[in-house]
Amino acid sequence: MHAKLTPPRSAVEVFTGFLSIGARAFGGVLPWAHRVMVEERRWLAPRDFSEMLALCQFLPGPNIVNMSVVLGRRWFGLRGAAAGFLGLMALPFVWVLLLAALYADWASHPAVRAVVSGVGIAGGGLFLGTALKLGRPLASRPVALALVAGCFVAVGLLRVSLLIVLPVAVVLALLGARGRLL
Amino acid sequence: MLELLLWFALLSLLSVGGISTILPEMHRIVVEANGWVSAAEFTQLFAVSQAAPGPNVLIASLIGWKVAGFTGALVALAGICLPAAALAWWVGGLWERFRDAPWRALVQRALLPVTVGLVFAGGYVIATPAGLDWRSALIACASAAALYATRLNPLWILGGGGVAGAALFG
Repeated sequence: MHAKLTPPRSAVEVFTGFLSIGARAFGGVLPWAHRVMVEERRWLAPRDFSEMLALCQFLPGPNIVNMSVVLGRRWFGLRGAAAGFLGLMALPFVWVLLLAALYADWASHPAVRAVVSGVGIAGGGLFLGTALKLGRPLASRPVALALVAGCFVAVGLLRVSLLIVLPVAVVLALLGARGRLL
Repeated sequence: MLELLLWFALLSLLSVGGISTILPEMHRIVVEANGWVSAAEFTQLFAVSQAAPGPNVLIASLIGWKVAGFTGALVALAGICLPAAALAWWVGGLWERFRDAPWRALVQRALLPVTVGLVFAGGYVIATPAGLDWRSALIACASAAALYATRLNPLWILGGGGVAGAALFG
């Protein structure tokens, strides 16, 4: 993990990087974004990725789409942002239309449904694994872990709207950070 | 089609945390208020957008497709993405400008636990489409562990999930 970072050298590289995220983003985009940008291409340090994700999570819109715009801008301005955004969306846009065309014929087949459910659940598992990776720096901080648990229970188990959970959690977190508890 | 663009642009700016936040509102606009697709179709389109790789906002392009074909799909996707992307562009610029400000370090320290909690929650919601039972818990925990502890390509993990799904749910 301590190898040297290699940020993209051109907008084309931004495009192909995000294209490779979108191409394989079965089961959710975030695990693939982390894998490609942090582990495969080493565009970002793990910490930088977490910070970006935190920012993008709090903006409206899908977090990785936001990330493609913010990072693209950081590296190559408007060209970079457009390259990241289009790279990320191009293939999924085609996949989803193709799949919609096929789905009508296959959806009622029980074996197909079973496989699709399994893949979907494993996709959820990839999110959990990515959360573990992102949360590693928090392991020794009890207040931070309590906040993680609180957000999980409110949003995951109780299904409280993010429009309520986010403001409350952010205020608590800022207070905690000011008091040097986080 | 202009209506489609405007409604989705409005949803775009409300979609803090992604599509799951606005799904109920989208259902209201698309099914109940405008009758663009039926409730059953909406559920089916959502399932397709979940199964396809890529951001779940792609449900917007499927709805656009139903309304006005390929152009509709592009227009709907632009509507749901561009306002939020423009905001991200602007905020991203500010964020970089204040790179060394002390308050930014504070905000980052505060946001990390919230972000991690939300990613856990997202994983839980995706992994339990029909409520929690031992089979989904098994598949989800096994794939989480495989991602965390090995350098296995996640495609293998998803493939394993498919095989497990066929064995356990078939």
